Amino acid sequence: MARIEFDRIRKTWGDVVAVDALTLTIDDGEFVSLLGPSGCGKSTTLLMLAGIYAPTEGNLRFDGQVVNDVEARDRNVGIVFQSYALYPHMSVRENILFPLRFKKVAESEARRRVEEVAKLVHVDELMGRRPGQLSGGQQQRVALARALVKEPQLLLLDEPLSNLDATLRMTMRAEIKALQAKLGVTTILVTHDQIEATTMADRIVCMRAGRIEQVGTPDDLYLRPTSLFVAGFIGAPPINLLPGEAADGKLVINGFALTCEGSVAGDVTLGIRPESVYFADAGIRATVDQIEPMGRETLYRVNCPLGSITVLEGGSTFHRRIGDVAMLRFDLGDTLVFDRRTERLVKGAGAQLSD
Amino acid sequence: MIWIKENDVAAVTENDLDVRRRLRSATWRQRTNLFIFLGPAIVLIFLLYVVPVIVDIFISFTDMGRSLAINEFTTKQYEKVFAGDKRLPQVIGLTFVYVFGTLAVFNVTFGLVLAILTTAIPKTSGIFFRGVWLLPRMSPSVLYIFLWIWVIDPSEFGLLNQILTNLFGVVKPVDLMTNAPVMLIIFSNGFIGASMGMIIFTSAIRSIPEHLFHAARVDGAGGLAIVRHVTLPALRWPISFITIYQTLSLTVSFEYILLLTKGGPFFDTTVYALYIYGRAFENGQYAYGAALALFLIVIGVALALLGWKFFDMKKLLQVPRIEVQ
Amino acid sequence: MEVTFGALRDQIQKPWDRLAARARWMRRAKLAAMYGFLIAVSAPVLLPYFWMVTVAFSSKTGTVDTLILWRAMAILLPFVFGCWIWSTIGTTARQMFFGFAAITAVAVAAFVILVLPDLHLGNFIFIGERNFGDIVRETRTGSKKGEVSGGIDFPSVWLAFANSLYLAGGQTIIVAVIASLAGYYLSRFEFAGRAAMLRSLLVLHAFPVLTLIVPLFLIMNFVGLLDQLLGVMLVLVGFELPFAIFIMKGFFDAVPWEIEMSALTDGASRRQTFVRVVLPQVTNGLIAISVFSFIRGWEEYIFVFTFLIDNVNWTMSLYMFFVRDDILGIDFGLVSAVGVFYLAPSLVLYLVAQKYLAQMTIGGVKG
Repeated sequence: MARIEFDRIRKTWGDVVAVDALTLTIDDGEFVSLLGPSGCGKSTTLLMLAGIYAPTEGNLRFDGQVVNDVEARDRNVGIVFQSYALYPHMSVRENILFPLRFKKVAESEARRRVEEVAKLVHVDELMGRRPGQLSGGQQQRVALARALVKEPQLLLLDEPLSNLDATLRMTMRAEIKALQAKLGVTTILVTHDQIEATTMADRIVCMRAGRIEQVGTPDDLYLRPTSLFVAGFIGAPPINLLPGEAADGKLVINGFALTCEGSVAGDVTLGIRPESVYFADAGIRATVDQIEPMGRETLYRVNCPLGSITVLEGGSTFHRRIGDVAMLRFDLGDTLVFDRRTERLVKGAGAQLSD
Repeated sequence: MIWIKENDVAAVTENDLDVRRRLRSATWRQRTNLFIFLGPAIVLIFLLYVVPVIVDIFISFTDMGRSLAINEFTTKQYEKVFAGDKRLPQVIGLTFVYVFGTLAVFNVTFGLVLAILTTAIPKTSGIFFRGVWLLPRMSPSVLYIFLWIWVIDPSEFGLLNQILTNLFGVVKPVDLMTNAPVMLIIFSNGFIGASMGMIIFTSAIRSIPEHLFHAARVDGAGGLAIVRHVTLPALRWPISFITIYQTLSLTVSFEYILLLTKGGPFFDTTVYALYIYGRAFENGQYAYGAALALFLIVIGVALALLGWKFFDMKKLLQVPRIEVQ
Repeated sequence: MEVTFGALRDQIQKPWDRLAARARWMRRAKLAAMYGFLIAVSAPVLLPYFWMVTVAFSSKTGTVDTLILWRAMAILLPFVFGCWIWSTIGTTARQMFFGFAAITAVAVAAFVILVLPDLHLGNFIFIGERNFGDIVRETRTGSKKGEVSGGIDFPSVWLAFANSLYLAGGQTIIVAVIASLAGYYLSRFEFAGRAAMLRSLLVLHAFPVLTLIVPLFLIMNFVGLLDQLLGVMLVLVGFELPFAIFIMKGFFDAVPWEIEMSALTDGASRRQTFVRVVLPQVTNGLIAISVFSFIRGWEEYIFVFTFLIDNVNWTMSLYMFFVRDDILGIDFGLVSAVGVFYLAPSLVLYLVAQKYLAQMTIGGVKG
């Protein structure tokens, strides 16, 4: 199976529109992440891929052929749920074996495959246990094994890491990514955590309220967000957004004037990432309000004429204290200007400080 | 239990009399509260459960007959139970057949089938069909049996015969009462019994997490496989509970049988509980009835205790948090 | 380690559109089969009720008026088939709605044209006429006035109705009061033997009450309460009590402790707290047990039958029983009418109770 195509897919539950006008193409072997806040329709989309839900309108195509009506069991898809959904009364071995019952595989061959996959995800020591006796991380690996044992053409992951603790999450992120690279299976990951999406996926589909906001590589979304929403969603700590008015080459925020490109006009929002603002000898005068040491970096919240801004500074030692006065600078190339009404990007590199 | 705050004690040590008065009134209130709140319940339960059991045991050792007079104390009722009553073995045998027949066919199996099917179709339709199957249980017993009597009426006016003659061209009207009375009581009680299983199993099926079904479908399971691997394993506890509970219920109840067949023809459909009723109230052998009833009481209580093993006791024994009287 | 991916994958080379078509067909076939089965087994349950209602409103000659019956069936059957077929064909919710509406409209129209003109209330004669038994005998069997003998002397249906109300109502009130008091105490107070009492209530709830009918009869006779509605009422109260206490305790358990603690700090005694603060919180529970008690009392047959003798004391259940016993062979219409009259309140009560059924849980297994 080479390609998955969403062709103007729409899914409604009665009056509620879960997914609308979804058009997307995914190539064979890609690792795509559906990223967005809860309720944005990403899980619904995933389940439509699995065949659990059928689209209300539009066509879902595998290899150019419409598969809207094809049953889940005919699609050869593997899925890992957020809750893992392991069969509580079966042992780990039986759980992993389950999908092979419905394929024409000889008993001995099936057992061999189960052992192989179990080794692949490192649950081979747990084969006799019941799900209730496993930790969250172990359950997740078993769920992964169950999804992989049937050699799926499509692997679906629905927020697989959200129930794991922070260290385990990092380990599993790397493992899943390595697994996908090795097996080459098309993978779709649904998550609300933008770090997961940017670290694991080749491409990210950012969704909001049932629609696609932007599709692109992690870099695309980070450096060239096409809307306010995407800019705000990607990047941690989140981008500084400052509303202002632009006219005649000047961008005024809270009474403070910046130079900007002449083509920018009207009510706009200036976006500047905390890592792009730096302390200098001259610039905008600011008072330090809060300090958050984050180990490798330090996050400052400062008050300046533009408003309250977060500044990210590398290094664990911080030289400023609360109440200190400092000067801020940022570069032209690092700013983003959005039209305030449409929330769409107006200028990729918008404003600069006027000295 | 009396609980007096430290401040109270400090403020009150001035006047010992006052303390003692308070203590006494608290104890007094504690006792009266017990009487007022629990008293009526305890009294009624004692009068309507304990006393009858005692009376039953007492009477079973007498020779009370139609005249309601007690002439002597004797164990001859029990002798009759164990050796003298020729009808009894047949009655006991029939009771087994009836209880396990109804249980196996209707209460458990059909209840399961109904629960699984009505949850597999769209919700409103499911509710409709479950509503239909609740109709027998919701109808007053006299009415429900009236309908059955009408249906099986051996004349041409019986509804069953109407259907057979008009739709299927059967010439001679059937008489189920004479020819298949045991099947009759099993079916009539079964329609009612199926609904309880249906409700409890439906509730249990609804509480299975949705994702488990999704996972099974993606894993390749079809309808029957899903029932086997996802639905039924989740129903183990409810099935056990229903089995015990309905066994108890079927063993001791006889209302529908009494209304439908009166135990006949002859003793063909007389189950144990109905036998007791017949002997006591129709033949006037009250003492013998009491003796027979005692066995039923013991069996009933044993089954009840077994059934409650399947219940969650902790939730019920939640400890109170206010200790003031 | 080597993972041989691809071997299983190659098995799956079926064309997608054939799979889709097969899936569509299978879905319809399964749905049709399930509906078909459910309709087939539910029909025998529903039909007698349908017949009873139809005959009650249409029978003129006392026998089962087959013509009306079959006409009604001729409307019902296509209606059911139409619904069945439509439910398997229709896909969107909107389609289903309009389809069913159309089918229903056709059925109602047919009903109005074919059946409605023949409906009448003549069979409800028992409502106004106490001696309907004799009247019916005359008209149906052609015996002359005064010749009739052996029929049962029926009380007025309204007397039976009133008796049932008294029995069920009285029982309900007593159960509601006692169960509330006991439930509250068990929920909120600590006392020696609390656990034991709760456990024994559990056993009592499942106690086979019917087995005690013999000693209870003797006791009632001894106390002079035989053939008294009050006697039956007490027995019914006793048997409803464990269950009702449990339900009420459950509802009291759900009332937050903070409310009572506030009331106590505000100066109320525990009894006052109970009456003014806690009780209003559990009205749902009160309504639930009241409805169930009332239904039980309304339907009660065995104890009423065994303990009551004089027809002045008859309840609706006995009335129904004897009407059927006496008149079924003679006038099906009349008996059906009485049946409808007796069933209607039960059904209404059950619909009311449905709302509260959902709220009741008894320990670990939801009912």
